[in-house]
Amino acid sequence: MSSIVTYIGLSLVLFAIGAVGVCIRRNAIVVFMCIEMMLNAVNLAFVAFSKLQGNLDGQVAVFFVMVIAAAESAIGLAVIISVFRSLVSVETSDAAQLKW
Amino acid sequence: MTFMGFVFSAIALAAALGVVFNRNPLYSAFSLIVQLLAMAGLYSVLGAHFLAVTQVVVYAGAIMVLVLFVLMLLNLKSESGRKLGIVKPLVALGVGFSVVATVFPAVVAQFKDISLMTLQENLWKSEGGVKAIGQEIYGRYIVQFELSSLVLLIGIVGAIMLSKRKRIVIGPREGGLGGKQ
Repeated sequence: MSSIVTYIGLSLVLFAIGAVGVCIRRNAIVVFMCIEMMLNAVNLAFVAFSKLQGNLDGQVAVFFVMVIAAAESAIGLAVIISVFRSLVSVETSDAAQLKW
Repeated sequence: MTFMGFVFSAIALAAALGVVFNRNPLYSAFSLIVQLLAMAGLYSVLGAHFLAVTQVVVYAGAIMVLVLFVLMLLNLKSESGRKLGIVKPLVALGVGFSVVATVFPAVVAQFKDISLMTLQENLWKSEGGVKAIGQEIYGRYIVQFELSSLVLLIGIVGAIMLSKRKRIVIGPREGGLGGKQ
């Protein structure tokens, strides 16, 4: 039992570190990488629960998360490039046109 | 948790902190590669061998190559000129770990009534080899698998549309229906 709980705790800490990175970093690419890290933390929790339950449903869920993350990274980086083309910057504080 | 589990956990935690607190985005990217490889090691420790290989190929290979390629194309400078301050990261870390300290006991409390015996029995039952995962994906999850290929197709089309340099005119052009009067 302690084994699974340790993995869940590690997953929580990694998710919190990723969320902190999303909050305090201003570079859009670093924010993107922190989002990938949060996805990975959730994947670790999925694998640990799959181990706990003794079936493969969690691992299949991780597989689909990886597929979505691949599509998301392609689109996200394309968005970052097109923002860089119009603003000549990838700082999140510079893209504030919609800010009221 | 085995010895290798502790080793990979320590590497993953250190590399995750490196991603957040490096000033240079390039060093953050390399830290993230180390973190993803450590996560692949953790999957392998947990018996998910197929996911470990997929993690190395898809995440540490394809996605991180894409990120490094974009970093190289944009030619970003390090943020060393801009001071982040010491208060903001400390406040953010405090908030993050208070979230962990709130959620973790609630998660642990869920495992109280499960006896240690069934867990030990289950512990090595789920072998995440290629054959077992393939039987799951092509059996019960076949519809979701086909839909994920559709998601990838839409992702490809969207990435091409977004990164095209020429603007695409939507709607009636000159000489079309809107131009006649």
